[in-house]
Amino acid sequence: MDMKEIALEVINGKTKIVKALVQQALDEGIPAKTILEEGLLAGMAVVGEKFKNNEVFVPEVLISARAMTMGAAMLKEKLNESGETAKGKACIGTVQGDLHDIGKNLVKMMLESKGIEVIDLGTDVSPETFVQTAKEQNCQIICCSALLTTTMTVMGDVVKAAEAAGIRDSVKIMVGGAPVTEAFCKQIGADAYTSDAASAADLAVTFCQ
Amino acid sequence: MSVLTVFHNGNRREILFAPPQPLHEVLRSASIPADHPCGGKGRCGKCAVKLAGSTCPPTEAEITAGTRLSCQAVLTGDATAWLEHTSLTQIETNTHSLASVAPMAGAYGAAVDIGTTTIALALYRLSDGAVLASAAAENPQRTIAADVIGRMEAAMAGKLSLLQQLVLEKVQKLLSSACVDAGIEESAVESLVITGNTTMLYLLTGKGPESLSHAPFKADCLFGFEITILGKRAYLPPCMDAFVGADITCAVLASAMTENPQPSLLCDIGTNGELVLWKEGVLSVTSTAAGPAFEGAGISCGCGSIPGAIDRVWLEDNQVCCHTIEESPAVGLYGSGLIDAVSTLLKTVDIDETGVMDDDLLLAENVVLMPKDIRAVQLAKAAIAAGIQTLLESTDTKENQLSDFYICGGFGTHLNLQSAANIGLFPHTFIQKARVLGNAALAGAAMLLLDTGLRAKAQQLADAAVQLNLGGNPKFNENYITQILFPEEGF
Repeated sequence: MDMKEIALEVINGKTKIVKALVQQALDEGIPAKTILEEGLLAGMAVVGEKFKNNEVFVPEVLISARAMTMGAAMLKEKLNESGETAKGKACIGTVQGDLHDIGKNLVKMMLESKGIEVIDLGTDVSPETFVQTAKEQNCQIICCSALLTTTMTVMGDVVKAAEAAGIRDSVKIMVGGAPVTEAFCKQIGADAYTSDAASAADLAVTFCQ
Repeated sequence: MSVLTVFHNGNRREILFAPPQPLHEVLRSASIPADHPCGGKGRCGKCAVKLAGSTCPPTEAEITAGTRLSCQAVLTGDATAWLEHTSLTQIETNTHSLASVAPMAGAYGAAVDIGTTTIALALYRLSDGAVLASAAAENPQRTIAADVIGRMEAAMAGKLSLLQQLVLEKVQKLLSSACVDAGIEESAVESLVITGNTTMLYLLTGKGPESLSHAPFKADCLFGFEITILGKRAYLPPCMDAFVGADITCAVLASAMTENPQPSLLCDIGTNGELVLWKEGVLSVTSTAAGPAFEGAGISCGCGSIPGAIDRVWLEDNQVCCHTIEESPAVGLYGSGLIDAVSTLLKTVDIDETGVMDDDLLLAENVVLMPKDIRAVQLAKAAIAAGIQTLLESTDTKENQLSDFYICGGFGTHLNLQSAANIGLFPHTFIQKARVLGNAALAGAAMLLLDTGLRAKAQQLADAAVQLNLGGNPKFNENYITQILFPEEGF
């Protein structure tokens, strides 16, 4: 079976067909790693590229991401058995005082589509929770999201908390959300800002290498 | 001292200032209007001016554009600035005479609505409820930031007293001009009712808005009392919560929706969309952040409701046609024209239901609609549409149960209902039920001015309102994602 078929259905966002194809591929004895990388993730990579080029928008990305996530869930056991590990690990959340999570969820799925394990801390997340999770779970990346100019300043506190906890050198802090800018990222001493979820995922991959 | 020479709207002015000083501060000191939509962060580029003379070095982007951002440029000595022609926004003050039942004190009184974008005032004779004059202006706080969050941020960064001073001065000015028009002494005006969204009332009264600025968004003051403003008795009607303010309490009062035995929905479409559902004796309220796309910000050729703004777009013999405010040469695209344009392009399939538009569309000379503008419209309309959907679902209300759909606010008044339904701002079935109220907040404030007995009613409405929080609400998120797409059918 051609992995391109799975990739195509991920692009089309057809969850049911993706699940059926993944099952068929497993039955044919194709390694889980191959199905994941050449099928599911390859499809999602195309969607990410289209998103960056303004050819598709948030709903299509989310629909494809859901299909990919469902397919990947079927592979989890096999991947664990064969000792496959994720490319890297990140924790993500919307900062304290802010409840908006659509953008955060999108970044989470794009990161997962690049083979990164993501711990979702939800919304209204304190700097301490970000740092403690990163420390205990050995995350290489902390991702902070905010939609309000009045709450994005908390991102600066996350950077400070990471310094205070002595993990600043071992973790990359990525920031994003509508009011966030490159200049703001530099000002608070975070590592990276990207303007869209697909670019965030590309950059996260380089941080995990 | 140095001199800044300013060319603006055909005038030449010289302003003395002590360098170094940021350009926007010098302009504000001379009361020259210059909007800073992004709060002076140098991000939106809407405050660009031509500038020559002694200044800090320009950035690369500024060199490329040949203009300077007035929020960023610092004057270090004598300089000259050429500002874009600014025109006054058209503001709704559609108030009419009312019955005087139990008026506030004095011979005359004024109702005032402080909106984030505009301020409107109507002057009444309290003995018989006759409206004598009205006046309106842009909210001068716009020179600090465009939206409530930006204003809150500025207030918390030490500009609270400046924001308060700006709005007080403007209300005073509007009152004076209305008194002149009516031919009465200003001292004969003893009473005011001042309504507005919660943030506007905080800034008016000089209260720090910290409690409104972050989760759990619990206002520490919801007003509903009298204080002294500009030496007059001023009643500030009660707010419902941090994001559904006294303006909505007043609009509900003016709509008389709670007298309606059938379920009905009230909607104020703006940067923040406020939604109120009345059903079986319960008032459910929510607010949804549409962003400023409908007011022109974030749209490449977007503008407010000024002369020359394209306010209508339609199809005639397969040609896209435009109408501009006052039929002046086109200068930009207003929200109602933007919605018409998107509706038209959906019809001609130049935009597909996922929002893809392949090429820029020239609407008029110098006014172009770009693919990224469509994306901004999708996000804005999804916020309103998903807000409506979530409010209906959470109160177990079906579309067809609603008897009336009240639309208030300046933007809603100019909206073409058919186009709005075509892009999916609200369901098509709402068109028949629509009641366009104009500035209902101002009308409600006038009712409170002429009948103090209504204060108990207003307080009861505000106290009993049930809030639905949409931020982080999973149901809202799901609806929002679906509503980003345009409706597939419906033409």
